[in-house]
Amino acid sequence: MKKVLHYINQFFAGIGGEDQADHKPELREGVVGPGLALNTLLQHGQVTHTLICGDNYMSSNTEQAVQEILELIKDIDFDLLIAGPAFQAGRYGVACGTIGKAILQHRQIPVLTSMHCENPGVEMFREFFPIFKGGNGAAKMKADLKSLAAYADKIFTGEKLLSAEEEGYFGRGIRHQVWLDPPVTASTRGVEMLIKKLNGQPYQTELVIPQKDLVPIAQPIADLSQAKIALLTTGGIVPVDNPDHIQSASATRWGRYRIDQMERLKSGEFKTIHAGFDPAAADEDPNRILPLDVMQAFLHEGKIGALHPYFYSTVGTGTTQREASRMGHEIYEHLAEDKVDGALLVAT
Amino acid sequence: MELQIGKFYVKDVVFGETLSFRDGVLTINKTEALAFLRQDPHITDCDIVIAKPGEKKRIVPIKEAAEARVRLDGQCLFPGVTGELHRCGEGRIHALKNMSILGVGKHWGSFGDGLVDMWGEGQKYTLFGQLINVCLVIDTDEEFERYEQQKKNHAIRMAVHRFAEFLGASVKSLEPEEITSYVMGPMRLRPPEVEALPSVVLVMQPQSQMEEMGYNDLVYGWDLNHFVPTYMHPNEILDGALISGSFMPSSSKWSTYDFQNFAHIKALYQEHGKTLNFLGVILSNLNVSMEQKERSALFVAKLAKSLGADGALVTEEGYGNPDADYILCLRALEDEGIKTVGVSNECTGRDGASQPLVTLDTKADALVSTGNVSQMIELEPADEVIGELAALGRDGLSGGWADDDILGPSVRADGSIIMENNAMFCGDGISGWSVKTMKEF
Repeated sequence: MKKVLHYINQFFAGIGGEDQADHKPELREGVVGPGLALNTLLQHGQVTHTLICGDNYMSSNTEQAVQEILELIKDIDFDLLIAGPAFQAGRYGVACGTIGKAILQHRQIPVLTSMHCENPGVEMFREFFPIFKGGNGAAKMKADLKSLAAYADKIFTGEKLLSAEEEGYFGRGIRHQVWLDPPVTASTRGVEMLIKKLNGQPYQTELVIPQKDLVPIAQPIADLSQAKIALLTTGGIVPVDNPDHIQSASATRWGRYRIDQMERLKSGEFKTIHAGFDPAAADEDPNRILPLDVMQAFLHEGKIGALHPYFYSTVGTGTTQREASRMGHEIYEHLAEDKVDGALLVAT
Repeated sequence: MELQIGKFYVKDVVFGETLSFRDGVLTINKTEALAFLRQDPHITDCDIVIAKPGEKKRIVPIKEAAEARVRLDGQCLFPGVTGELHRCGEGRIHALKNMSILGVGKHWGSFGDGLVDMWGEGQKYTLFGQLINVCLVIDTDEEFERYEQQKKNHAIRMAVHRFAEFLGASVKSLEPEEITSYVMGPMRLRPPEVEALPSVVLVMQPQSQMEEMGYNDLVYGWDLNHFVPTYMHPNEILDGALISGSFMPSSSKWSTYDFQNFAHIKALYQEHGKTLNFLGVILSNLNVSMEQKERSALFVAKLAKSLGADGALVTEEGYGNPDADYILCLRALEDEGIKTVGVSNECTGRDGASQPLVTLDTKADALVSTGNVSQMIELEPADEVIGELAALGRDGLSGGWADDDILGPSVRADGSIIMENNAMFCGDGISGWSVKTMKEF
């Protein structure tokens, strides 16, 4: 029998409503509230412990609440976390997502939850684990628990997990190949789709192209000689010991390194950790990718007004748009703080 | 234009006294066949090995595949390649069905080479796992590319084309079990009931990314890199006008076998006169520079519009850089008011989270997906390897690696393997036979 940890809020634990929403994290053995029904539905697992936290406490002390919860469960073993169902309750949904994400990251244990499509937790956390499409209120408790229990049992028995649509959760933006059953060839599917499209009949594309998230091209800098410029690269230039452990491909980390005391990057002090090209030329002269030498020359010549004291680096190859976008926002904070006017981003 | 394909269904292939076909059994005189292959002085070592579905055999590194055929008029099968130029697509050919000829490196693999398993879990990854394969296992004197990741593999690929004619001769004077006719007259003045149907073109984008000659797909022997899109009769494609190259990661590849049996053409023929009016093929390419991509898209859209196409099925031999051509072409056609459907594979990464195509456009609103090049595949050891298993990890095949911090080597000491779908020979069946799709999880 597999062990399930169940996360619920103060309301479903029977502690109280809004007046008890500051309830601190607590771990109880066995089932509490909806866990009882969950246990009767689970065939191959049992809820062994229940985590309870007040929605307010979680939303106003998020980091602390997560730390306390990780501490509470550090000595217990479990195979799966089920959070909620959270229905349309916004703070509860976000709490389920927050704690789910933390447990997934710190304990590498699968997580499931359930929310109504209008719960803000769906868009915030759907990429991390399956969030089942749930009802808008507790009247749908049994149905939502049933979906969670059925999927949990499939995980426990190693049964084949179907697509998000077939299983009934919000897609995570992860696409994998599957064999059609019964088999239909691509040429048959293509020609049928074309006939429908030509005849104005409804058809379903197999790859939905999302609306573009285009960033408008910035206006030119009016007077470069007065501008403060920052240097960025996705070419993986880092100090030789790669202090921030930036990955060589599919990066999720970035680093910033001081350059205000340097005229140029020295070989042997900096190198590239990018795995998508031959590093020889970059290692021999890192300025080939991060042109500090040229920028310092421009500075001395007065072509640019100032140079931001750090350069920023990550690796572009295999890096997902999502991670790139997050890193871009994080780097932007630093540039904005130093009132940088323009950035030179060198890609490879 | 009418092309008749007389079909001989092969149930078994054996070695024996005389090259012959009887009661579904193809007999090959091995000594004679090897002597034929070795007429090419660049072939230094050569063997022929038969692999049948269900046998615990693994074939790697595979460079090319073709269907054995013969033209009854005595002309060559692949004009401009195995013989003098003549127009394909008309008359009668005889074909050995249910089997293919595979060109396999005795030792050396290259970037675009692939793998086929004939049994178990691995068999489902490619159509060639379901065919009887006559494997030409060859070493050559092409020293200039021996240790190159990109190889032209000229001698091995040409051996496959020549051998297709050699085996095809066995059925030249026999009566086929079945004859399929592909008939399509001029585009003008078709019967009114056909003219009333929406008219459709197939847009094919075969591989042409290499600037140096010798790696790209050929049309009548001409390198498709030095080419602007033109009109082709579908029968020409089914009848040997196109030859596969040696560049594209294997699962995205169209082998010559795929061209000879191009499933999209067959599917469009199937509907011709019933639900649509099939106008024919616009043959394009996949060059690398942006201007060349734009020029090709422009030519395709202009041709389609001038031919009066209402719709187009667009398909690319590749992923990554070629996605730019694919999306450009779909957009150019849609901008002309021509309704499009695209067929390609995707590259969503090992975790499935990456952007599926290199470029995207919301005008590409009807797409068929045939697989994920980066899907991880783990397979048990084979009883027999045809070719050399080490090539998968050693020689830079697109889906293999020598070693990896987490995954270890592609080829393990016990003969089991871990690889990306990229190296499954023609595995994504973009030419139309894929029964895979992509779903969100």
